[in-house]
Amino acid sequence: MTPIVQCIGLTRTYGRKIALNQIHLNLEPGRIIGLLGPNGSGKTTLIKIMNGLLNPTSGDILIGGVRPGVDTKSRISYLPERTYLYPGMRVEEMVRYFQDFYPDFRMDRAYDMLSRLQIEPRERLKNLSKGTKEKVQLILVMSRDADLYILDEPIAGVDPASRDYILHTIVQNYNRNATILLSTHLIADVENILDEVVMIRYGNIILQAGAEQIRRHEGKSIDRFFREVFAC
Amino acid sequence: MLGKLMKYEWQATWKLLLPANLLIVVMTFFACMAIRLNFGEIKNDGIVFGAVMILVTYVGSMFVVMIGTAIYLIYRFYTSTYGDQGYLLHTLPVDKHHIVIAKVTVSTAWVLFSSFLMYLSILFIFASEKGVIPELVDSMRLFTEEVGGRPSLFAGVMTVTAFVVSVLARVLKVTACLSLGQLSANHKLLMSFAYYFGIYFLQQMLGTFYYIFLAVINRRLDTYYYGQTWEVTLLTGLVYTVVFYMVTWYTMEKQLNLD
Repeated sequence: MTPIVQCIGLTRTYGRKIALNQIHLNLEPGRIIGLLGPNGSGKTTLIKIMNGLLNPTSGDILIGGVRPGVDTKSRISYLPERTYLYPGMRVEEMVRYFQDFYPDFRMDRAYDMLSRLQIEPRERLKNLSKGTKEKVQLILVMSRDADLYILDEPIAGVDPASRDYILHTIVQNYNRNATILLSTHLIADVENILDEVVMIRYGNIILQAGAEQIRRHEGKSIDRFFREVFAC
Repeated sequence: MLGKLMKYEWQATWKLLLPANLLIVVMTFFACMAIRLNFGEIKNDGIVFGAVMILVTYVGSMFVVMIGTAIYLIYRFYTSTYGDQGYLLHTLPVDKHHIVIAKVTVSTAWVLFSSFLMYLSILFIFASEKGVIPELVDSMRLFTEEVGGRPSLFAGVMTVTAFVVSVLARVLKVTACLSLGQLSANHKLLMSFAYYFGIYFLQQMLGTFYYIFLAVINRRLDTYYYGQTWEVTLLTGLVYTVVFYMVTWYTMEKQLNLD
């Protein structure tokens, strides 16, 4: 089976600083994968390269066997760590925007999630709180039938009470044959849904293993293990 | 996808720019009324003061709309392409050519629309004074003959085409500079300004060399007017359009650097 993501000697530098250092990584389809690492470890750089928002300095990256481009963008559903919605638009206009550009967008699914989270479709985005905007963004991203969902810190900006619902939303709504790559430092909240873990430090992949395998092998939770590995 | 991109670009810009341009229409109407008043016969100082204020506001509103439109379009391009909203735009499954074409077409259309309204407005103001329009037409004919041209429908159409292309080139110059500016690690907007002034300086240098060249060839010094034909404006406009388009597209496609 072709990996959904293949990184071959992937390197990205910013001036003299090396953000990603000769990364070799394969991600298989149908898994929920946690991309874990401290701030500045290279998680977001790797995610941006997958989405074609940055170009690698050297090496190669393939999404479903092809380099990032128009084709891969129609297969990836990406949630960035920042708010990218147009503030002047209403929620329902943003839903139509996604439907216009993504053939795999499911409008019924989006409205169902909006109603469950009691978000008014007529509301303008600029009038919503930061947390609600993030929820709208997540709803839009998870309403697609994509092959790869890349979620960069999906629960960082929302209150703890909503986190469970959001994780539930992610798990319930993704295409079962798809892969979810979830980048976060709130490991305790997400570790129960992870199938696999990729740990990154100083631009190097230091571990790629099954979540259950880590727990069994280390005899502790992934959160505990992470804290020990990345202890300052 | 190009059609969809253009649709959303229109939707995002008309809410602010249409009312701004309607302001020109409204102010032109009041300015025409004010200019028709015979100030010598009016005894009421309040009416004279009001008319003068209307004319001052008219001139001011023209500047505000002209500069405001330019600033808004630059701001809109920057935030939606290289700001936070760039994360959405650049992850849409659309060709980068389509993104550039949609944004540049809509911006150029707004600049042309504003320019057209302003020319029309000035024409109405002139028409309010008897005898000014025929004088203006005579002056333009004399000027055309002076620089060696002959007034014709073809020359008129080509002059308008050259103007449209030069506006397109100017819009693309701004998008190219903003695209080059985002390559910097820090102070992206400041670097965009630096690129703009650098390119402006280079263009002025090239223009000066061109006029010196014309002066030497033709052995006359008034080449600035002599050289301002629609052929030259159209040709330089087309060259700059292609160059700035390629710079904008290439940086977006190959050198995107979203923070």
